[in-house]
Amino acid sequence: MAVEFTFDFPLPLGLHARPATFIQEYSQSFSGQIILENLRNRRIADPKSILSLITSDTQFGDSCRIIISGEGEKEFADNFKRFLLEDLKLKEEKALEVRPAAVALIPRLVLTEKEIYLTGQPASPGLVSGKTFLLATGFDWENLLGEEAGLAPLSPQAEKEAFRQASRQVQQEIERLLPEKNGVERNILQAHLSIITDPTFIQRIMTLIDQDKCLASRAVYQAAKEFSQQLLEAKSQYLRERAADIQDVTRRLLERLGGSTPSRLKATLNRPAIIVAEDLFPSDFLSFKPELVQGLVLEKAGQTSHTLIMARSQAIPAVTGVDQATRRLQVEEEVILDGNRGVIVVTPGEAVKRYYQREMETENLLRQRRQQQATLPGRTADGRKIEIVANIGRPEELPKAWRDGAEGIGIFRTELLLYGKPTLPTEEEQYILYKTVAEEASGRPVIIRTFDIGGDKPIPSLSLPPEPNPFLGYRGIRIYQENYELFRHQVRAILRAAVFGQLKIMFPMVSLIEEVRWLKEKMTELSEELKAEGLPFKDIIETGIMLEVPSVALLADKFAQEVDFFSVGSNDLIQYFFAADRSNPRVRYLSQPLNPALLRLLKGAIDLAHDKGRWVGLCGEMAGDPSLTPVFVGLGFDELSMSSGFIPEVKAVLSRLKTGDCQQLVKTAMEAATATESERFLQQFYQEHFSQEVISHELVDLCADCRSKAEVLQEIAIKLQLAGRVDNRARFEQALWKREDDVTTDIGFGLAIPHCQSEAVRVPSIVVLRLAQPVDWQSKEGLMVDLIVSLAIPAGEKVSQQLALLPKLSRKLIHEDFREALRHAQDPGEVVFLLKQATS
Amino acid sequence: MKLVAVTACPTGIAHTYMAAEQLERVARKLGLSIKVETQGAMGIENELDPDDIKEAAAVILAAGISIQKSERFEGKKIFEFSVQDAIKNAEGILQKVKEQIGS
Repeated sequence: MAVEFTFDFPLPLGLHARPATFIQEYSQSFSGQIILENLRNRRIADPKSILSLITSDTQFGDSCRIIISGEGEKEFADNFKRFLLEDLKLKEEKALEVRPAAVALIPRLVLTEKEIYLTGQPASPGLVSGKTFLLATGFDWENLLGEEAGLAPLSPQAEKEAFRQASRQVQQEIERLLPEKNGVERNILQAHLSIITDPTFIQRIMTLIDQDKCLASRAVYQAAKEFSQQLLEAKSQYLRERAADIQDVTRRLLERLGGSTPSRLKATLNRPAIIVAEDLFPSDFLSFKPELVQGLVLEKAGQTSHTLIMARSQAIPAVTGVDQATRRLQVEEEVILDGNRGVIVVTPGEAVKRYYQREMETENLLRQRRQQQATLPGRTADGRKIEIVANIGRPEELPKAWRDGAEGIGIFRTELLLYGKPTLPTEEEQYILYKTVAEEASGRPVIIRTFDIGGDKPIPSLSLPPEPNPFLGYRGIRIYQENYELFRHQVRAILRAAVFGQLKIMFPMVSLIEEVRWLKEKMTELSEELKAEGLPFKDIIETGIMLEVPSVALLADKFAQEVDFFSVGSNDLIQYFFAADRSNPRVRYLSQPLNPALLRLLKGAIDLAHDKGRWVGLCGEMAGDPSLTPVFVGLGFDELSMSSGFIPEVKAVLSRLKTGDCQQLVKTAMEAATATESERFLQQFYQEHFSQEVISHELVDLCADCRSKAEVLQEIAIKLQLAGRVDNRARFEQALWKREDDVTTDIGFGLAIPHCQSEAVRVPSIVVLRLAQPVDWQSKEGLMVDLIVSLAIPAGEKVSQQLALLPKLSRKLIHEDFREALRHAQDPGEVVFLLKQATS
Repeated sequence: MKLVAVTACPTGIAHTYMAAEQLERVARKLGLSIKVETQGAMGIENELDPDDIKEAAAVILAAGISIQKSERFEGKKIFEFSVQDAIKNAEGILQKVKEQIGS
């Protein structure tokens, strides 16, 4: 018996790749058969295949019939219908909230020096100067065909077998690579794997072989061309990138099927170079020696393409969307690639070289600064220890975590090991993995969080029923009793691996004391099992629970008698506490980390835990927000766990905080009535205890070696970024120029006051430069300038005490005696003194 | 002779106040009495009240933008300059205003 229903397709953009992916993912959780029939064009699609869904050409409002057969069909049909009509739309809306494409910021000097330059979108930050390496353009599909090599088709049977064999080989090749690759490269390979095993793709190839009695390579080519053509016709950048994935997989297949080697990479890269190409397949990118790739200039790659994601993770500067790059750049041409601004300067002249030399020095200083911050201890100014640790999902992320200064791992989300795997990992596989992690941590603590899976994250190897409300349903430890072997293997693997390092175990989604008691009872049983088997293991291991259900917070003293520690999962806790799904944009306003109700809940829980001598960590997304660090210190957290990229800045902020001040802040904020009110207290706190004065001696240079107005504005931007007062100096510099374009800011007397209000500014600041040589300020009157007093104001800055200093300073600058005092100051300290006096 | 002035500029953090200071400074030098209202990032400061305006022989507007509450000056003799002029050439401006009113 099959169940069917009809529905009108709800998405305005039609059934394109993204919603197809959502539908495919959802359909995987059903073991039976599903058919989608578009009643407008009578096309039939398999919802378990992305390509099949896309080729159904389903448009907005098309009436579609779904036919479901198999075990649990009725229940799945109900859920699937709701998914198609409601969830799909929400997911799509969420995905469409993309940032506007970044645009190039051309340094003014590049324009005034009449340099040859190309622009595109900044795609991976960083600066490099080097020589170009041009890749042959275009993907020559025809050359890859076996026909060229003089092969004649065999019987359809034999050709099909040849395809299956090639497909198997490519699959194996990818699977062999998978364990070696880290996050991003892994995702790409997994995307390739899903294309190669796509039932519609395979079916189309088989049909073509039967129908045309052709070579398997011809059929693969034809099928890939059809599918990628459909994707390329779409207006969406995202779909075009997926077409590149299909082409890449196809190339791997065709190579196996005896096609000639691809022509586009005939030239090999044997010197460091900036690679210029129309587009770059991830496999091309991986084929280069990483140390030889200095930068990427691409015509077509999208920001979300796998090649660019890899470039960012390896800190290789890149610009994309560069029109006609492969035709406008020559081989071995000297260029400067500016990945911060999205600009490529061709054979730059002296002035621009000098400008970029200074930019590169600055980048190096900033990198060093980050490294220094990374080595800071996780400690407040008054010496309170707060462990700053990293969140990871895969062991491959460990080296970066240590580099960023992680003092341990606050949460290793093990469920990521289950995704995309046809079977559950064995105990032995898990043991080896956790052992590696324990060893690589070399004595640092690592908290392994047991599998947190449920209806919202379908795992192919585990059939959990879809449910209407997965976040309030069968997930986390709630599934362990019924899936005991899953739990058993993981806990045994962790206990065994704990011999090799400081491993701790943490359980997700605990809400009751009975649950903890059950977990502990089972852990004891498993220890005894291991003892009986004579396997080495650690029987005393620190055991903690996630604090993500409000019931645990209120009963934390009782839980503290059962566990060694707690870690607040703020994302889930917030959504359970405010009863609002965080993935639903309509209720997102309810996610309020600073709401006094939440602060009271957390403070209460932490106090209860501390009273019983237990420690409390925080591992939700907000742990990495440095502006909230004072609140976490004040609440009494003992550990903060975050994406490792945030660690250097959080450590730097922490090292400047005093515990007492933070406690006072939290006390005040807990008395607020609304989140807005407590946010205001936090702002005030920053102003009182933390914010910098508008002037400091690092912002003064009494012998600045600037040879032009452009270099002056650059120097102001650099000084501010190095002082941590501006976070994107390219944008700030652009804002200064914009102000100069209105009317130049020279005011006579050899003085110029370049200034702007910009989102790139964090703290209102004054920069003072005295120039070694006067420069032409390019004003109407052609005035020369030797003294610069520059003002930087954050965008939207309300009338504040700090801002009030600026009018005073401006007035003072009108007076000759003040200007002369600045001109004759002996050292930066004297300038700071003069400015403070003038503005007091 | 009494004068009133308003200074303002697009960003409102520097020129507005420099121009005000310069006008006040030069007026003193020339023996003129002047009250300058600033319309900048700090909002309206040293605001001109109806008496100030009534008594003033002329109104000087040194602004790169249109100013607020300009209806207050209806019927008055108004001299407009750029805010840069007020900084770089306050003396010239005040002399010119003085001559034109005197004549």
